[in-house]
Amino acid sequence: MRHGKYPFIIGFLAVPVVLYATFVVAAYIQTFQLAFTSWSGLGPIKYIGFDNFERLWNDDLFWRSIGHNLYLLILLPIITIAIALVFAFLLNAGGGMHKGVRGSKFYRVIFFFPQLMALAIVAVIFGRVFSTDESGMLNGLFPESWSPWLFLADERWALTCILAVMVWQAVGFYVVLFSAGMGSIEQEVYEAAALDGANRITLFFKITIPLLWSTLQVAWVYLGIAAFDAFALVNIMSVDRGGPDGATSVLSMMIYRNAFEYSQAGYASALGVALFFLTLTFAALTLRVTRREAH
Amino acid sequence: MARHDEGVVTVGRSRAGTIAANATGIIFGIFMIFPVYWVLNTAFKPDSEVRSFTPSFLPKNPTLDNFRSALGEELFIPSMINGLIITAMAVAAALVVGFLAALAIARFSFYGRKAIILVVLAVQLVPFLALLIPLFLMLQRAQLTNTLPGVALVYLVLLLPYTVWTLRGFISGIPRELDEAAMIDGCTRAQVFWKIILPLTGPGLVATSVYGFIQAWNEFIIINTLNSPQKQNLMAWLLYNQTERGTAWGPLMAGAIITSIPVVVFFLIIQRNIATGLTAGAVKG
Repeated sequence: MRHGKYPFIIGFLAVPVVLYATFVVAAYIQTFQLAFTSWSGLGPIKYIGFDNFERLWNDDLFWRSIGHNLYLLILLPIITIAIALVFAFLLNAGGGMHKGVRGSKFYRVIFFFPQLMALAIVAVIFGRVFSTDESGMLNGLFPESWSPWLFLADERWALTCILAVMVWQAVGFYVVLFSAGMGSIEQEVYEAAALDGANRITLFFKITIPLLWSTLQVAWVYLGIAAFDAFALVNIMSVDRGGPDGATSVLSMMIYRNAFEYSQAGYASALGVALFFLTLTFAALTLRVTRREAH
Repeated sequence: MARHDEGVVTVGRSRAGTIAANATGIIFGIFMIFPVYWVLNTAFKPDSEVRSFTPSFLPKNPTLDNFRSALGEELFIPSMINGLIITAMAVAAALVVGFLAALAIARFSFYGRKAIILVVLAVQLVPFLALLIPLFLMLQRAQLTNTLPGVALVYLVLLLPYTVWTLRGFISGIPRELDEAAMIDGCTRAQVFWKIILPLTGPGLVATSVYGFIQAWNEFIIINTLNSPQKQNLMAWLLYNQTERGTAWGPLMAGAIITSIPVVVFFLIIQRNIATGLTAGAVKG
């Protein structure tokens, strides 16, 4: 069995390794390199030491963007998982001890719909939902005597609106995911607990959640990745792309604008380096937590 | 699964609780479906009704004009074809490369295996925007900017981590005894992979290709950065078109529906297995 193992391994892994080495590792090395230049994106490259990082340190928008990234990173998983758990539980056990609510199969399809719609289309639709005049779906529903809500044009609420859309889009997938997990929990476990007098809420917290723990961790990681990727929504939905006045700016938005609009490829790369370390921290924390759970 | 609950266990079954549960389900369902319904509603309305300030919940004079005008746009059909070509290339490549890599990781132990698994996972976390400048430069040097294969190559890199990870889960689920039995019967290692593991990984290949299709079909940032307006996919075209024309909501929503059709069709085909398929690799450690 042993002989002839390495030709297979090398043959099978050569292409992905080359691809990663070029498009991820080498690309990141170049990002790090460009972070120390004042390059505009065209013409000669000039090294300027740590100037970009100094500028970044003093850039108010950078710190606010990090804050927004963290806000999404913390709230998106918590809110999405909470809602999805409750609804998965309703679908599976809400209609009585054994059954989900009526039509739970139908709900499962409905909940999955937002997942099927491209983020870009979702963003366009919700731009319409949050419109500031009466043509907006929400403002249209409010009585006419109210002054129209500003939603995305309001500095205080703009990011929350974007968070709401992210939750809306994500939650259905996790309802389906958690339902699948709950379906695989042995019915006898519930029955035994029920005989001991546990009610629905106790069942949920004492049986469902602990038995779903590994699925919850997976959900957390996926949602974390989605939170880092808020670019698409911010890009399409927000006023002035990242506004009003930087209220919805996230790191990737800053990178994009600096690189492709302000001709500041050097500074954009420095921001890319910052984003790299932020992601790395998230990954390390996640690994740490999941490893501890494994023991 | 057959469930027998003939009055044996009655716990947690208060009537009020059941009603509340059903009501919450309905409200939440409406909340989830409403924007989707609104897209359909707008797409079938004539322009005058779309512009009207008093919203109506059904088109009074349903029309296909919006679809006609979206399809009639100069770049609509070319963008759709571009998108199909790029997606097909990226997904096919990801399946082949990803399957082989998953085989290597799942079936062999070798020096650096752990490191590769870690890198595969880490790449999933990397926000691609941070790499957009160097990617652009690399593709430019290889004269691949403004081409379809250039974009497909970048998408391949994006799809690989998930593909490898999911297929690895599926392959790990196939008992090694099967491999051994086949080899005792005289199969070579290559034959084992081809005749035993590949067919048994079928559902995994379906799940990953669906995921890949959705990702590649819906992507618009990378393609918009790399390619000229003539070489966009449908999604990028749709957004570009929106900013160009302001608020032509009817045709925009019609375009959005057309863009979503392939994804919805795919979903309906595999709907039954979606949760297992998408998460099999993730849950199995």
